[in-house]
Amino acid sequence: MYHKLENYLRAHRKRSGLTQDDVAFLLGSRSGTKVSRYEQFRRLPTLPTALALEILFDVPGQDLFAGLYQELERTLTRRAEDLIKRLHAQPPNRVTERKLSSLRSVCLPRRKGRRE
Amino acid sequence: MRAPNLAESRIVAVHPTSRGFGFAVFEGPGRLIDWGTRTAPPDRDAPTLDGVGSLIALYQPAAMIVEDPAAPTCRRCPRVKALIGSLCDLAGRSRVRAFPVARTEVTRLFARGQAATKHEIARTIAEHFPELEPRLPPRRKPWMSQDERMSIFDAVAFGLTFFYLQDEPQED
Repeated sequence: MYHKLENYLRAHRKRSGLTQDDVAFLLGSRSGTKVSRYEQFRRLPTLPTALALEILFDVPGQDLFAGLYQELERTLTRRAEDLIKRLHAQPPNRVTERKLSSLRSVCLPRRKGRRE
Repeated sequence: MRAPNLAESRIVAVHPTSRGFGFAVFEGPGRLIDWGTRTAPPDRDAPTLDGVGSLIALYQPAAMIVEDPAAPTCRRCPRVKALIGSLCDLAGRSRVRAFPVARTEVTRLFARGQAATKHEIARTIAEHFPELEPRLPPRRKPWMSQDERMSIFDAVAFGLTFFYLQDEPQED
């Protein structure tokens, strides 16, 4: 299985028939240079831009930024596992149990199943 | 020899011409993620090699698909045949496997859908990938030279044939 690209902006832009300048105009930028940089994975869009792109292409962020999403998911899972280990070292109480329950759901492979 | 199964891999199909090249990037046979043409002076290979090098660097494909220049049915000019060889070398240096596909395999695949001519194959592809419909050139008249946009459809045809050959049961 291949690793996902950081984003699929170019594929969705081309499917919609828009040029980089058209997308730049819709995002409120002056030229398509910034869009080109996003498409070549040389620059990350800001959160408002990412949300605008999601609205524009009508594609969920986790599909539009699939590679980035995968990478963040892996990092977050690893950190959640570390935090679980730290919490286990503490004396158990109701707050800790609550935290552990939340963190375990982050570590579960449910997200993978949801995408497939 | 059969290639390892790359049916769900990202591949780049390149179709060099005397005036540049057309390309298509797939993630599996049903997902086209990029396509286009690049022009180059008719006597220079460097722009084509640079362009394909950029595509490989950007998409990091598992394989690059080109027309088989050694196939007896290949009617490409000697310069383009040599260019295809250079592209395969470039892919090798980038640790990307190059798979030549014979034009006869493309014809065999599309003949199943009653598409025999280049234009019919391109039209079949445009029906399969509606995003390519605006790039479909008009039917070529005998006095017209080939539209450069046709190289996109050639690249897509070679890419789809590669995926088809991956799935085709092996004859013993």
